[in-house]
Amino acid sequence: MPEAALIDPELAAFLQRGVSVHVSSRGPTNIPNLVRGIGCRVSADRRQVTAFVLASQCGALLAELAMNGAISFVATLPSTHRTVQLKGTDAKAGPPLPGDEALVARERAALVEDLVGVGYPPEMPRALLGGDWAEAVAITFTPTAAFVQTPGPGAGTPLGAGAR
Amino acid sequence: MSPLTLDAIRRALDGSIPALIATCAPDGTPNCAYLSQVEYVDPAHVALSWQFFNKTRQNVLANPVARLLVVDSRTIARYRLVIRYLRTETAGPLFERMKAKLAGIASHTGMTGVFRLQGSDVYRVEAIERVPGPVLPAPPEDRNLLAAVRDCARRIGAIADLESLLDTALECIAEKFAVEHALVMLRDAGGGRLYTVASRGYADSGVGSEIPLGQGVIGVAARERTPIRIGYAQAEYAYGRAIREAALRDGIVLETEIPLPGLAESSSQLAVPIEAFGRLLGVLFVEAAEDQRFGYDDEDALVAVAGQLGAAIHVLQAAEGEDAPAAAAPGASPVAGPALQVRHFAENDSVFLGGDYLIKGVAGSIFHALVTDFLATGRTEFSNKELRLDPRVKLPDIGDNLEARLILLARRLDERDAGVRIEKSGRGRFRLAVSRVLELVEVG
Repeated sequence: MPEAALIDPELAAFLQRGVSVHVSSRGPTNIPNLVRGIGCRVSADRRQVTAFVLASQCGALLAELAMNGAISFVATLPSTHRTVQLKGTDAKAGPPLPGDEALVARERAALVEDLVGVGYPPEMPRALLGGDWAEAVAITFTPTAAFVQTPGPGAGTPLGAGAR
Repeated sequence: MSPLTLDAIRRALDGSIPALIATCAPDGTPNCAYLSQVEYVDPAHVALSWQFFNKTRQNVLANPVARLLVVDSRTIARYRLVIRYLRTETAGPLFERMKAKLAGIASHTGMTGVFRLQGSDVYRVEAIERVPGPVLPAPPEDRNLLAAVRDCARRIGAIADLESLLDTALECIAEKFAVEHALVMLRDAGGGRLYTVASRGYADSGVGSEIPLGQGVIGVAARERTPIRIGYAQAEYAYGRAIREAALRDGIVLETEIPLPGLAESSSQLAVPIEAFGRLLGVLFVEAAEDQRFGYDDEDALVAVAGQLGAAIHVLQAAEGEDAPAAAAPGASPVAGPALQVRHFAENDSVFLGGDYLIKGVAGSIFHALVTDFLATGRTEFSNKELRLDPRVKLPDIGDNLEARLILLARRLDERDAGVRIEKSGRGRFRLAVSRVLELVEVG
């Protein structure tokens, strides 16, 4: 585990302000998998990140995470294109905690607002982020690497290496 | 239920909601990234834009299987695809199509100068899966494109002369595709350029204006013989001064006196090559002020119409080259008013009527020959066939479309309205109609 959390307070706030989230895994023969998330939570000590996904949309992704724990997580704010990718090796899926539903609802409202601000009609992001909370799954992992992924030649630079 | 096909989910590739790709490094570390472009190649392949040597690219070169997540922006239907990297193309039709589209995407997202296409990565689609989730009802279609194609084909097929053909095609496209602004450019067989022969929906027709092959949306569509479609306003493919200057550097002298017709606020542009029997005849171009006006289906439909148009141009051009008896000539039209000075510059065959520029190049040499004969012998009846063989008419190539040059010349004369016109007088024949005394002045 790194000495200091990879995620500084500013990044923790960014991740929980209402960003577009995706999670990827890989299967036993290194075929990757991919699903859109509906929100995310950063632990109080900023050492763990939890992505919320809907089980029915995951295909084999949850089984693959249970098998090998390898995860890649991407968060982006559409209005600014600011994008961050986090990676980990200890991803575990479990039930959401009390309070997560309200957190995700707040994030969803903020993200819908951001998407409407860049020109999407509101019903579109609402449908994109909609679903039944009863099937929400919390995927928690310890980020061991973080990268800037805002489009451009600096994409892929490790976070803290000067480019953000 | 039968398996999903790529054709059936093409709308999800339009990029309105960005697609994502997951890849996996050889050590098993997954990677996930946004894509600025997913291009439909054919029912079994997509191409992704390679812009930077990033983790995605490193991964697929080592482990070619990737997963793609795309969303249909109208319904929010989501699809997950298993794709396998095959090859990278760095030139040719696919590359140019993606490069032009990317210029629009970059401009739309504030990434001009950042996004630059290095290559088109071609992937085979191995599986398509619908991801469950809420969907919106699909909005009703604005128009039925198959019915539009059918109607255009029927009307194009009923036309028996080239000039009406071009006008009818543009009229039909305007009506059936609800496109306000359209033009047809034909290829100059020798000079590496295209010239406007018909247009619709512009303040000035721009008939006679020229562009070099390979420049801008229309020029690239012609050179690569592939449709070029852009969904957002951008500057890279606009016909500015720079393109004209580049043409000059390449030794191509362009018609610059006649401005190219074009929308000042053009966002969506689609240029479709017009071909017949393996030859490029020209380009059909449509544009609109709104973003993302033309989709994959519009492109397919206009390609079908352009195919019909190409065959019709080819056949009618051949028919006009044949001699047929002339219609009875009308009595000589009354000649009145002061003399009209026709100045001809031998150097480039440019012609001025009074002080006004008319045309240059091939069309200029045709007009010069007609006026010379008219003044020498009073002759007003001419045939396309004799003109094609006339050494004074500088056709760049035997396969050049003389008939289209005559249409262009006739339109310029109509627009100038200076007292001299050319009128069709039968199949493959036309008449010089002169209503003023002409005075020919040779310059140079």
